[in-house]
Amino acid sequence: MEAPLLEVKDVTKSYFENGKEFKVLDLIRFELAERDFVCVVGPSGCGKSTLLRIIVGLEPPTSGQVLFEGSPIRADNPQVAMVFQSFALFPWLTVTQNVELGLEAQGISPEDRHGRARKFIDAVGLTGFENAFPRELSGGMKQRVGLARALAIEPLLLCMDEPFSSLDPLTAQNLRDEILQLWANPDLPPKAVLMVTHSIEEAVYLADRVIVLSSRPGHMVAELEIDLPRPRNRKEPEFYGWIDEIYSLIV
Amino acid sequence: MRGLRGRLRILAGIVILVAIVVAILDPQAAFNAVQLPLFALFSTTRMVLAYLLSLVFAITFGATAATNKRAAVIMLPLLDVLQSVPILGFFPAALVFFVVTFQGSPVGIELAVTFLIFTSMAWNMAFGVYESLTTIPVDLEAAAASFGLRGMLRFRLLALPAAIPKLVYNSILSWSNGWFFLVASETFTAFGGTYTRPGLGSFITNAGIAGDATGIALGIGVLAAVVLALDTFVWRPLGVWSERFRMETTGHEVPRAPSPYERFRWLPRFPRLRRTFRTAIQPVVTKYHRASVRLDRTYSAHPQVLRDIRYVDLAMFVAILALVVVVGVLGLARLFLSRLPDAAAELPRAAASSFIRLGLAYGIALAWTIPMAAWIGRSPRGSRYITPVLEVAASLPATALLPIIVGFALIVTASLGPAAELSAILIALFSMQWYLLFNLIAGVRGIPEDLEEAARSFGLRGRAYWRRVLLPAMVPSLLTGSITAWGAGWNALIVSEYIPFLSPPPHVSGLGYLLDIATFRKPLPDNEMILLTILTMIVIVLAMNKLLWRPLYKRAAVKYRVEV
Repeated sequence: MEAPLLEVKDVTKSYFENGKEFKVLDLIRFELAERDFVCVVGPSGCGKSTLLRIIVGLEPPTSGQVLFEGSPIRADNPQVAMVFQSFALFPWLTVTQNVELGLEAQGISPEDRHGRARKFIDAVGLTGFENAFPRELSGGMKQRVGLARALAIEPLLLCMDEPFSSLDPLTAQNLRDEILQLWANPDLPPKAVLMVTHSIEEAVYLADRVIVLSSRPGHMVAELEIDLPRPRNRKEPEFYGWIDEIYSLIV
Repeated sequence: MRGLRGRLRILAGIVILVAIVVAILDPQAAFNAVQLPLFALFSTTRMVLAYLLSLVFAITFGATAATNKRAAVIMLPLLDVLQSVPILGFFPAALVFFVVTFQGSPVGIELAVTFLIFTSMAWNMAFGVYESLTTIPVDLEAAAASFGLRGMLRFRLLALPAAIPKLVYNSILSWSNGWFFLVASETFTAFGGTYTRPGLGSFITNAGIAGDATGIALGIGVLAAVVLALDTFVWRPLGVWSERFRMETTGHEVPRAPSPYERFRWLPRFPRLRRTFRTAIQPVVTKYHRASVRLDRTYSAHPQVLRDIRYVDLAMFVAILALVVVVGVLGLARLFLSRLPDAAAELPRAAASSFIRLGLAYGIALAWTIPMAAWIGRSPRGSRYITPVLEVAASLPATALLPIIVGFALIVTASLGPAAELSAILIALFSMQWYLLFNLIAGVRGIPEDLEEAARSFGLRGRAYWRRVLLPAMVPSLLTGSITAWGAGWNALIVSEYIPFLSPPPHVSGLGYLLDIATFRKPLPDNEMILLTILTMIVIVLAMNKLLWRPLYKRAAVKYRVEV
């Protein structure tokens, strides 16, 4: 059998302070296959962001392993892209230059870079803002740049750390729908999405599968298949049913 | 536009005609007039060289300290000491080294001068780079890592841009420092001779010796013109440009330091000339960009070579550091094991009188800068006329004003003794006061509008207003200004306590005087006394920083910070 896209195997993370051990994550274990849209939900301080940083290889786990296509993950893996809560745009680069960042690191020629950057800038609806600097954009537009930058390297896996938490509710909802559209388009990357959020409603709205974490130390409480048909309607009783179930699991 | 150009051409013709007539009538004046721009060019070249050295040093040092934790353990305290120590104290030692090495040839003296300017520019820039690199937001670092930015590419796209705002800011401060030391070092008397390198500083000093008032005025005028021109065409555009590199998440920056590229706002901005300049340098910038891309390629193609270079780098740093530490420790041990020289008995008294002198200058500076800052900071109309005057005065290094100050002191007081004392205090005052003034103005301007309005609506006026609003708001910037001012003051001591170009040389007792005697007024430099005097200064400066300013600063940062 072929290895799954991503395997998180018994990941544990501890910090040491004055010889004392603080466990942040305890035995996290799950898998991600192609076409999966998975959300990790948990209260603040449960180590979700740390988990994501470990999964993309920015931090090593204390024990356990993260495998991507069967081999240990590396931070600069061009098949994995990251979207940040704070956008993490380079303030001194234009929209195009920001989107080209990963391509430039891969040594792709300027002409190809421009072409691909334009394609994804168009895809996130930022046509006409190619030469703007991040500070000239609104929060929602900034996160679109962050998204285009991640998509531009045509990753297999898209990781998002609370991508909509610093946006106003309306903008956030628009972006959620757009992410779903992009993901539903088979011609566009990514193959799978892993998203960390503290909003249960957001998780139920977006994900096929929700991984529920509880805090101190962060451990897995449940892994739920959300089998609601898309597009999902927030007013339906089933939708509320899922929210209530996850809520009761966390509390 | 053609009309203007034509008129300029006519003007240039008239100037040339007048110049020819003057040259025939008064050859000496013509010679001076031709000389001055050349001197300005020499001095500026020295500054540029020292600055480029400082820039390279600051970036390598700052980047290494920020990325290599083990190296940072040694590098940061070292930088802290170097930054707070009176640099001019090293000048004699550096001079002896370079002059002896090059056997008195001009090259050695040029090197000594450049080195001195370098030491006045480099440290705060290095700190700026270090601070910028360690305060890059975590997410930005993560983004760079996850998108695979490495090596030169990471440096070019992340590290260098992140350092630019602080680098530009500190460069402006460094240039002010540099002028001070340039003027102090272009001419000096030592080992029975006078060494002079052609430049604005030596021109002013020589005019001072000759008592040539026109020469002094001309020299200072040209110096001011150079400073203003550089500010208009280099620093302010750079400052505006560097804003682009500022991180958007504005952290709580304590203190609210004045932005140096805010000064000289009243000068004309010459947009056309600037655009021409920008178009002129555009090819170079493009070429640099292409070269750096090519370098990236080569660089990332050979990771092994890269690692080797880094190891060699580190080994060299460790070796040099070990050498310096061993030599220093041995020297100190020898110094304290043998009997102290007799002159060492004068050290405590000299330190006390230097300290009192600086304290007096500091007091005078406070007495006028606090009310002045309160007035300028709150009255835009008044400041429109007074700010240009103050800024031009502040842009002139105290060392350049030395002849005027000494002359003034000689006129005011009859005999040489009190004149020397007065001029020493005045020079210290001129070195200290501007830091206080401009920091305080920034403090007053930083008072939030709604706080002012609240004070007004509750009818706070007069003494109550000063006590409740103005003075508390000034405290953090007063402390920042004080730290810098005292640093500058210690440097001023060395040029102010002994003025060699008058005969008999007026002098007052103090550390600067002792240092001068030990270095220059003996057949051979008295190494023990040089070392002891510098050590005494270092101890006093560090003690003041650690025991007085830093604790005060910490308390002020908590209590008087105005949340914006």
